[in-house]
Amino acid sequence: MKQVIKGNHAVSLAVKLSRVGVVSAYPITPQTTIVEELSKMCAGGELDADFIKVESENSAMAAVIGAATAGVRSFTATSSHGLLYMHEVLHWAAGARLPIVLANVNRAVGPGWNIWADQGDSVSQRDTGWMQLYSESNQEALDNTLMAFKVAESVFLPVMLTYDAFFLSHTSEVVDVPAQTQVDRFLPPYAPRFYTNTKDPKMFGGMMIPEYYFEQRYVMHKDAVDAVDAVDAVCREFSKTFGRDYGIVEALCCDDAELVVVTAGTLTSVARIVVDRYRQKGIPVGLMKIRLFRPVPVKTWRSVLSGAAKVVVLDRNLSAGLGGVFASELQAALYPMDDRPMIFPVVAGLGGRDVTPDDVAGIIEDVRHREVSDGSPVFWGLKE
Amino acid sequence: MNPPQRSARAKPYPIRSWRDMTPMNVSMGTMLHNLTGQWRFIRPLYEDKTPACQDACPAGSDIEGWIKLLEKKDMAAAFWHLKAEQPFPAVLGRVCPAFCQRACNRSFLDECVGIRSLERFIGDRFDPVPRHPGLPPSNNKALAVVGSGPAGMAAAYFGSLLGFTVTLFESHAEMGGLLRYGIPAYRLPRDVVAREFDGLSRMGVRLRPGTTVGKDLSFKDLQTGFDFIFLAIGAHQSLSLGLENDAASSRVMSGLALLKAAAEGRPPDLGKKVVVIGGGNTALDAARTARRMGAEVTVVYRRTEAEMPAFPEEIRDAREEGVLFIFLAAPEQIDLSDDGGIARLVCSRMTPGEPDADGRRRPLRIPGDRIDLFPDTILTAVGETPDLGGLAGDIGSVNGLIPTDGMLRVTGPDTGSAEIFAGGDAINFPRTVVHAVAAGKKAAIAMDCQRKGASPDQTLAAIAAGKGGGVRFSAYAGRLPVNPVKQNPRAVVDAEKIVYDYFSKKPAMPVSTLSPARRISSFDPYTETWNERAAAEEASRCLHCGRCTECDNCLIFCPDLSVMKEQKGAFGYRIDYDYCKGCGICFTECPRHAISIIQEETVEHSGEAPAGETGH
Repeated sequence: MKQVIKGNHAVSLAVKLSRVGVVSAYPITPQTTIVEELSKMCAGGELDADFIKVESENSAMAAVIGAATAGVRSFTATSSHGLLYMHEVLHWAAGARLPIVLANVNRAVGPGWNIWADQGDSVSQRDTGWMQLYSESNQEALDNTLMAFKVAESVFLPVMLTYDAFFLSHTSEVVDVPAQTQVDRFLPPYAPRFYTNTKDPKMFGGMMIPEYYFEQRYVMHKDAVDAVDAVDAVCREFSKTFGRDYGIVEALCCDDAELVVVTAGTLTSVARIVVDRYRQKGIPVGLMKIRLFRPVPVKTWRSVLSGAAKVVVLDRNLSAGLGGVFASELQAALYPMDDRPMIFPVVAGLGGRDVTPDDVAGIIEDVRHREVSDGSPVFWGLKE
Repeated sequence: MNPPQRSARAKPYPIRSWRDMTPMNVSMGTMLHNLTGQWRFIRPLYEDKTPACQDACPAGSDIEGWIKLLEKKDMAAAFWHLKAEQPFPAVLGRVCPAFCQRACNRSFLDECVGIRSLERFIGDRFDPVPRHPGLPPSNNKALAVVGSGPAGMAAAYFGSLLGFTVTLFESHAEMGGLLRYGIPAYRLPRDVVAREFDGLSRMGVRLRPGTTVGKDLSFKDLQTGFDFIFLAIGAHQSLSLGLENDAASSRVMSGLALLKAAAEGRPPDLGKKVVVIGGGNTALDAARTARRMGAEVTVVYRRTEAEMPAFPEEIRDAREEGVLFIFLAAPEQIDLSDDGGIARLVCSRMTPGEPDADGRRRPLRIPGDRIDLFPDTILTAVGETPDLGGLAGDIGSVNGLIPTDGMLRVTGPDTGSAEIFAGGDAINFPRTVVHAVAAGKKAAIAMDCQRKGASPDQTLAAIAAGKGGGVRFSAYAGRLPVNPVKQNPRAVVDAEKIVYDYFSKKPAMPVSTLSPARRISSFDPYTETWNERAAAEEASRCLHCGRCTECDNCLIFCPDLSVMKEQKGAFGYRIDYDYCKGCGICFTECPRHAISIIQEETVEHSGEAPAGETGH
């Protein structure tokens, strides 16, 4: 049923539809209303789950780790500093191969204190072993939540789904909320591989000597690499069930494009308008939206971008001393290609600064008139 | 638990390739063989301790214990548990100075638990006092108790419980000593005192009122007729003011004499204006008695209000009843009128000087600064001393008191075969009703030790509660504590050991009290005993310091599942030291310090048992 709802509400509904058993979270702007809604659902009996109140994000993650270890489908949500406060336990959740789903509302990290959209929080967690899915719209946030549980439980890795602060979290859009029966068909009950059982006590995640640790980490890596195909499969099954198409990336007009703009999150919607304008003028510009960022879908990225001469990467995040993280990852992924495109990294819209269609057009025009890229980022909109 | 034998452990799991590796390292069997308790540096101890109230009670009353029974609505159990240490709840529930309440840890949260009123409630529920259910057979020893005040009553009570054949002598016409003749009826009604003597006589105590030892019966007779003697003759002789005319007029009388006359129903004429000299409880009892006889009363005390030995609530009640106070003033001179009355009382203004031996500042006269008062009667209450009468020659005296050792054995000349003990106001001992009860109990136990040829000092030390040293008869008699868990009665749980975050505020139950105007119109009691509902409400305010209530905090918080419920529904918890790593969370989260911690003995010191509690 179609509803006009905010991004946070869409995610709460998806969590409810996923029939989670445990929710634990600590409030932080702009995530708060997700878990507010979920706590109401738990209290009202609408959602048959335990809502565990905690004193910090670190404990929230620890609580869902406990729940997932006990074999229960678990969810948490956070943002910015809250996510960073989880950092140590994020590693644990992934290493313990627990299919937890976390919604992270992308928000800038302080100081200066800033509650607006910026993807620096989630990209900084790229080495924790979590899968990461980025969303462009409220509908995609809801759909990604459902897919996140399915993927996580098929590969036994946790999934972080992200969407931009306020642009989505607090903005109402039309969202098609699927029926419970439909979701139940798509997402069967969680079948854990191992879980705590008082009748058969075992220890989880104990000491691992150098003789074994290496192999176990390799297994985790290999499962993560293989998870790219699992995501693809889940996307296809999702399309079949719900009629909405998703993939590992979304490639728009990339086949014949000489210049491709790469985006993640809501910047994509802005870029769509600009790409459309260029196409109307007959100029071959394309758009690649990053959906899955971890594991890195190297093959997909290469195949989508193989025909382009120039790739512009818009990063709404900054790794100080490097530049935008998406551009860096893309550079690394494409480097072994013989006919790799030139990559033009652009950092824009940090801390929630608006990036308009005119900005994106300006960026494209700038790149169109440059012959070479030295790989270093342009800071678009910087007050000189 | 013992670790499984090596052969019983899971076989090694060979990993020759990453393909053999499991995604998550999960043990193949339990990890019970891994005795993680070996990592422990501190050891939690689950043992009940002595609450601050019990520590403060000279009689060592297990207040927490009987309140817990009261909360369980087991009234009879509460009554007998209370009486196990302090046998006269209806009496002490009215006139005890309640050191327990001053020590009550609840004071740091809101206000102390109304322990005395609860005690009164329990005492009044059992009227008449039922016969003690567990009286032992006679031990074939005869005990003479001289004086039937609270010390004598306690000695008779506990003496009977130990099998002595007790005879209780009282020189006055009625039993009760100070309780009958020294405490006014509005504080302690006569029938309440009489009730306790009915109880004693039902236990087999022979009551001998109107019999003065040293007059009606010689001390020698006692020594011949009894194996043990306990002297509890009180302090019934008032000290004089030491002024020129203080004995020259019938209008100068002691406060004690007034109280006694009032108790005997022949109150003297006091006139319109009365001045009471002194700051102790006798002074205030006399003042409030005079007020009830219609006089205008002024108390003159040579120090400040804060230094008055009288209990604060007595001062408060006296003030409510219209008693006036002049502090820092001392009598100097009494001028008599021609008709033998008092023409004038001259007092000097005083100023606090240097602290004296007891730490209070010695009052000094301010030369030339005088107040003239014009009372019809002067009541003196500047101290009392025992009336040793015919006994002095037999037992000796030191500073006018009966000399005793720490076991309350009389250390003066001993001319007979009987073992002689003494207690109460007649010896060098704090003069309160509850101290007297404590002395009677201690002496009874000491006599029993003596009878059995055991060492009283060691026995008494072993059964003392907390650091306050109140002797626990229940421990001597082998009576079980309310909580059937390990006991550490030496450790006292004071406020700093209570985790107040776990308790919410709840105001104390009020005690219904008559208006001051109604109070002074008669000698009737002016406060009411709580009803069952009020008592239950107040009992629920007890924090149960140092005593487990099975709140489950330790069970819930233990991260190692090493705190476990006792099996088969038994009370309390068990700590599994094989796995307890000594994190101390159970100790930190125990609201009431029923769990404490000690340092583990290190390897170098192994072989010795862990020392006692080292505190926080």
